[in-house]
Amino acid sequence: MSNIRLMARLDVKGPNLVKGVQLEGLRKIGDPHVFAKEYYDQGIDELIYIDIVASLYERNNLLEIVRSATKDVFIPLTVGGGIRTVEDVRDVLRAGADKVAINTAAIKRPELIREISKRFGSQCMVLSIEAKKVIQGKWEAYYDNGREKTGIDVIEWAKRGYELGAGEILLTSVDMEGTAKGFDVDLVKATSNAVPIPVIASGGMGNINDMISVINDGCADAIAMAHVLHYKKLTVQEVRDYAASCNVNVRRLKHGQDNVG
Amino acid sequence: MINYSKFEINETKLEAKYGLPSELKYCRSCVISNQRPNSTVEYQHTENSKKETIHFDEEGVCDACRFAESKTKIIDWKQREQELIDLCNKYRKKDGSYDCLIPGSGGKDSFYAAHILKYKYGMHPLTVTWAPHIYTPWGWHNFQAWLNAGFDNFLCTPNPRTHRLLTRIAVENLFHPFQPFIFGQKSLAPKMALSHDIKLVFYGENEAEYGNPISDTSLAKRDWKYFAAEDKSKVYLGGVSLEALERDFGVEPVELLPYIPANPDELEQKKVEVHYLGYYLRWHPQECFYYAVENGGFKPSPERTVGTYSKYNSIDDKIDDFHYYTTYIKFGIGRATYDAAQEIRNEEITREEGVALVKKFDGEFPERFAEEIFQYLSIPEKDFPVAFKMFEQPMIDRDYFMALTDTFRSPHLWKRENGSWKLRYPIYEERREDYE
Repeated sequence: MSNIRLMARLDVKGPNLVKGVQLEGLRKIGDPHVFAKEYYDQGIDELIYIDIVASLYERNNLLEIVRSATKDVFIPLTVGGGIRTVEDVRDVLRAGADKVAINTAAIKRPELIREISKRFGSQCMVLSIEAKKVIQGKWEAYYDNGREKTGIDVIEWAKRGYELGAGEILLTSVDMEGTAKGFDVDLVKATSNAVPIPVIASGGMGNINDMISVINDGCADAIAMAHVLHYKKLTVQEVRDYAASCNVNVRRLKHGQDNVG
Repeated sequence: MINYSKFEINETKLEAKYGLPSELKYCRSCVISNQRPNSTVEYQHTENSKKETIHFDEEGVCDACRFAESKTKIIDWKQREQELIDLCNKYRKKDGSYDCLIPGSGGKDSFYAAHILKYKYGMHPLTVTWAPHIYTPWGWHNFQAWLNAGFDNFLCTPNPRTHRLLTRIAVENLFHPFQPFIFGQKSLAPKMALSHDIKLVFYGENEAEYGNPISDTSLAKRDWKYFAAEDKSKVYLGGVSLEALERDFGVEPVELLPYIPANPDELEQKKVEVHYLGYYLRWHPQECFYYAVENGGFKPSPERTVGTYSKYNSIDDKIDDFHYYTTYIKFGIGRATYDAAQEIRNEEITREEGVALVKKFDGEFPERFAEEIFQYLSIPEKDFPVAFKMFEQPMIDRDYFMALTDTFRSPHLWKRENGSWKLRYPIYEERREDYE
C-alpha cells in the first residue's frame, strides 16, 4: 500500500495567500511564498497552489509564484487556476510545476483532460472538482470557485474524468471548506469507490481526527490542509506523528529530520 | 410607448432622469459612479422626486472611499470603543428586562451586532426582524441560526397581500420593488422600542459607509427623518398618499399600520435613542461574515447571487435580485458595482479586479426567481377587487415587465444599438485619458 500523502493547499489571489469559508469571503493571510517555505521546512509531502480567482477574472498569473516557489521548495507542486489550454499547461510545467489541477476549463471542454494526459502523461493531470451536496449521497460539481452550478453529478464526472485520462482527483467539498468542521467523508468515500485513481480530500479539516476518519472511512489517498496550517492550529510534524501513531501509512521522517535536513 | 430617438447613439442633448448628474463620472478609487443616489426618506419619495447623489471631491474620489480612508487613518477606534462602553454602562439593565433593541435579519451584520453586544459588552438585547418579501431557504436558515446563538426575537411579517400591492405600486411608479421592505427596516425598531419601553436602539453600519454624506458619520445617532414623520398627510407609500391608497386601492387603514412611521414626539418624550454600532466599532463586512460563521451557524448562499459574484451579503430576500436590477436600469449601477466598490474600500480586491467583476456580472437579468416574482407582483381581481382596476395590466408577465423596465431607462445612461440596450459609458470602456 502506498503512503498517504500530506499536502498543504495554498489558495492565492494576486500577490496574497487567501483563505475563505465555503470558498467565499477570501481573507488575506500573507505572502504565499513564506507559507510554502514554512510547510516545506516542516516536512510536507506536496504543495498545491490554486489561483482561485483566475477563472473568475479570466487571467492567469501563477507563473511567477511557481517560479519563485521552485527556488527553495523541492517537493511535488500541483498548480491550478485559470489553466485553459495545453499551452497553458506547458508553461506551468516549464515554470517548475509537476502537476496541473483543472476544474473550470475541463467542465467547459472535457476533451482538454484527454489532450493534457496524452501530451504530458496522466500523472500530471489532476482533475479538480468542487463538490456541493445536493441530498444525502448526491453532489453537484461547481466551478468559478464555488460560484457557478453545472448540473453535473460529481461521481459521474469523476468517472468521466478518469476515463478521459485524469491521473488524480483533487476533491474539494464546498460545504465543508474553511469551516474546520471535518471533511465530507461520504463524498470522499463515494468518489474513491468510483475511480481507481488517487483522491485528494480537501476542505474541512479542523483537527487531527478529521484526517484519520477521512483516510480510514473515506479511503482518501491524500489530504489537503489549509485552515489548520495557515492559522497555526497544527504543524505538519504534529499531523504526521499522530497519523503514524494511528497506524496510518505516512512517509516517516526521523525525529528532528525535515525536508531540509 | 418609448421614444427611441432619445436613445440614439449620436444623440447629443441627453435627458437625465431623476435629477441625476448629466455627466457620468466614476470614482477614481472604487467603481461607484456619481449617479449613486443617497438614501432618501422613502415616505416622501414620489415620481417627481429629485435624487441627491454621492459626492465626489476635487480629486474625483467618492465620499465612501474617503470615509473608508478615515476609518484606517483618522478615527481613534480605542476611544470610540470607550464611548460604546460608556453608552452601554449608561443603559445596561440588571433587573431582568431588555436594555437595547437590535433590528436585523440574521445576516452577517446583525449577527455580529447582536452577538458582540450581548457576549462582549454585556447587554441584554431584544432583536426584531422585519420579514423579507419572500424568504430564500438560506435566508431562513441564517435567521434561525442567529436566534440559536442566544436571542429573543419578534418577527414582524406585514400582511403579504398588502405588501404585494405596495410592492407592485412601488414598481409601477418608482421601479423600486425593495421600497416596502425599507419602510419597515427603518421604522419597525423605533416603534418596537416604544412599545417595549426600551430606550436604546442599535443599527449596524452607517449608510455613509456606502456614500451618504460624510457629515452623517460623525454622529452616532441616526437622523430621525428616516424613521419618523410628524404629519401623516405627508406620508407616501410607493409614491401614493395614504388617502389615495385607501380611496383608490381599497386598502383599509389598519392594513397600513405596519408602514406608518413612528411618532417623533413620542420618541422624544420617551427618550428613545437610535445609534449606529458602526460609529463605535470598525465595521468590516467580510470579518462580520467570519464572525457569524465562527460564532453561529451562518452559511453563505449555495450559489452566487444574480448580478454579482458574492455569496454572503444580502441573501435572504428573493426580491433582492430585482432590487439591484432596477438600480442598474435607473442609475446604471448594479449589484456587482455595489459589492465591488465595498470590497475595494475594504481592500479585499483591487480596482482592476472590481472593473472586471462589474463587466462580468453587473446588470445580469434575475432569471432564477423571475416567474415567482412576476406572480408576486400580480394583482388578480379575486384577491384585490378594488386595486386591480388601477393597473393597465394587473397580471405581470415578462413582456409587460420588460416594457415597464424600458420606461425607467434614462437617455443619458442608455443607448439603443442594433435593437438592444447598452450603457453609453460603462466603466470597463473607460478611456485612459479620462484619468488625465
